[in-house]
Amino acid sequence: MTSNTGFSRIKVADAIGVGTLGMRTRKTRTLLTALGIAIGIAAMISVLGITSSSDAQLKSELAALGPNLLEITPGDSFTGAEVSFPADASKVVERIGTVESSSAVFVVNASVRRNEFIPKQQTGGITALAVDLEMLSMIDGVVAEGQFLDSTSANLPNVVLGSVAAERLGIVSTLRSPQVFLGDTYFTVIGILAAAPLAPNIERAALMGVEIATELFDLQLEPSLIYARVNEELLDDQRRFDETRAVIAASVLPNAPSEVSVSRPSDLLTARTSTQNAFTGLLLGLGAVALLVGGVGIANVMVISVIERRTEIGVRRALGALRGHIRLQFVFESALLAALGGVAGIILGGLITVAYASSRDWVISVPTASLGAGVGLAVAIGTIAGLYPAARAARLDPAEAVRPRV
Amino acid sequence: MIQEEKSVVLELLGVEKSYPGNPPVGALRGIDLLVRKGELLALVGTSGSGKSTMLNVMGALDRPTAGNVFIEGQDLSNLSDRQLSSLRGRRIGFIFQQFHLIAGMSAVENVSTGLLYQGISRSRRHSDAIALLHRVGLGDRLAHLPHQLSGGEQQRVAIARALMGEPAIILADELTGNLDSKTSEEIIELLHQLNKDGSTIVVVTHDGALAQSFPGMVTLLDGLVANDSRAA
Repeated sequence: MTSNTGFSRIKVADAIGVGTLGMRTRKTRTLLTALGIAIGIAAMISVLGITSSSDAQLKSELAALGPNLLEITPGDSFTGAEVSFPADASKVVERIGTVESSSAVFVVNASVRRNEFIPKQQTGGITALAVDLEMLSMIDGVVAEGQFLDSTSANLPNVVLGSVAAERLGIVSTLRSPQVFLGDTYFTVIGILAAAPLAPNIERAALMGVEIATELFDLQLEPSLIYARVNEELLDDQRRFDETRAVIAASVLPNAPSEVSVSRPSDLLTARTSTQNAFTGLLLGLGAVALLVGGVGIANVMVISVIERRTEIGVRRALGALRGHIRLQFVFESALLAALGGVAGIILGGLITVAYASSRDWVISVPTASLGAGVGLAVAIGTIAGLYPAARAARLDPAEAVRPRV
Repeated sequence: MIQEEKSVVLELLGVEKSYPGNPPVGALRGIDLLVRKGELLALVGTSGSGKSTMLNVMGALDRPTAGNVFIEGQDLSNLSDRQLSSLRGRRIGFIFQQFHLIAGMSAVENVSTGLLYQGISRSRRHSDAIALLHRVGLGDRLAHLPHQLSGGEQQRVAIARALMGEPAIILADELTGNLDSKTSEEIIELLHQLNKDGSTIVVVTHDGALAQSFPGMVTLLDGLVANDSRAA
């Protein structure tokens, strides 16, 4: 009986053809069924995309503001007495492992005026500050005109003006070496800074070297402000970040760390992130529900399809199809139906994201992993949805299935 | 007789088939039947005589409650569902009253489905299907979909599908039941032609006149063989 050896088998390409037959012959139903999955996937992708775009936007805003920049200032003491930092506070801060660099700013007790004829009281809100040479890079500052203080110019009566200070003093260029009257000495303006939104007090200041300030103005060597840049890795780890803040406070004033204020200029934006995350969870949940409903819809349609195609199943069994072939045909069809919905869903979700993000002038960001995961999830749902109808199809009694229908 | 010397394609030995019920319904009540290679046999009987059940049992679509079915000497009673399916695909061709073509597939595709589950390449199946469609007179209807064909044409497609892979036996169930008399005649003529070319064919019908035109006729009555014209 050589002819009876071996089981029926089907080529992969043919199995794919068989699996797509139902979709090809029932196009409207296919589209409507896939739509359910498409809506679910589109909801999830757009939620993820919009969240991701919003995060990307936030990150770019944070990056502009320097999220790892800390401002360390004397806070309020319990008794209301003035708190002052020790002279070496900046050096102490810099020795902390997670701090990359720090820079101290000292207030110079001198008025800043255009010339000696202007009354001392008319300072225009401009303060004189003594800074070290690293201060500029610390605040991501940019020199708009002339140059910043260097090791030589910092020892001489030279100042660099913040953008607001320069404007108020009416100085737009350093070409003719303009001078300002500082305390009772004329200082030469060697540079003007561009706007630095991160450091508003620098914008409104005339900056000089610590040496010359000590020499001319009897500088109190107690920093009134310390800038510190922490390791960027801390930004992804809130716990370590908070630890570093505490360590800084304890290092600056070991006896009264609570009197040290360690703030982050970019912190204002974090509240926004957390509210958005709450919404993301909710919307993702809604997307998941839509997806589940879509899966039930597919199962439903597949059950109907199996009933309608009873004869076809019987014929295939008569032509040698094994139960496994029938099961595979319907599971494949179900998975393919869902995959179609999944692909439509990620396209739709992507378009929604792009439209929403551009309407808000956000950076557009659609996580690519979520696109793959979207189709994968759809296929998984379709496969599961198809298991029961396919099992029913495979269980059909072939003699019963080919019986004439009246 | 020459026929006696030809090999047995299908044999039924004491085949019984009953359906669950109280009391159980006995559709077949002990049938012995022999079909030899090259026969064209009519299985005739009134409605409820058990002829459709018998066809299902002969075609390995259904298992008998008792007795044995042999196809080319192979006893089917010990075969698994997978083995029965594979056997149907390789050795048996089916023709149904309602044609049972698969919607949405062209005539060529429907015919080539006859060998779909034999793991044969699509191109070979298609060339075989085209040759068979020419043979049943549908050379000009290759790409037509079932709903674009007349009843007679659909049945020709179904016949071509049954011929795919040169099965040992072709089983037809009331194959003219849905056709007008002129078309029926043409289809029967086609069966005669195929039989002349070597196909072994068993036709189940309630139509006595149709059965008379066949060389052999077995009459079923209440689940038993009432008359076998070949025995005479």
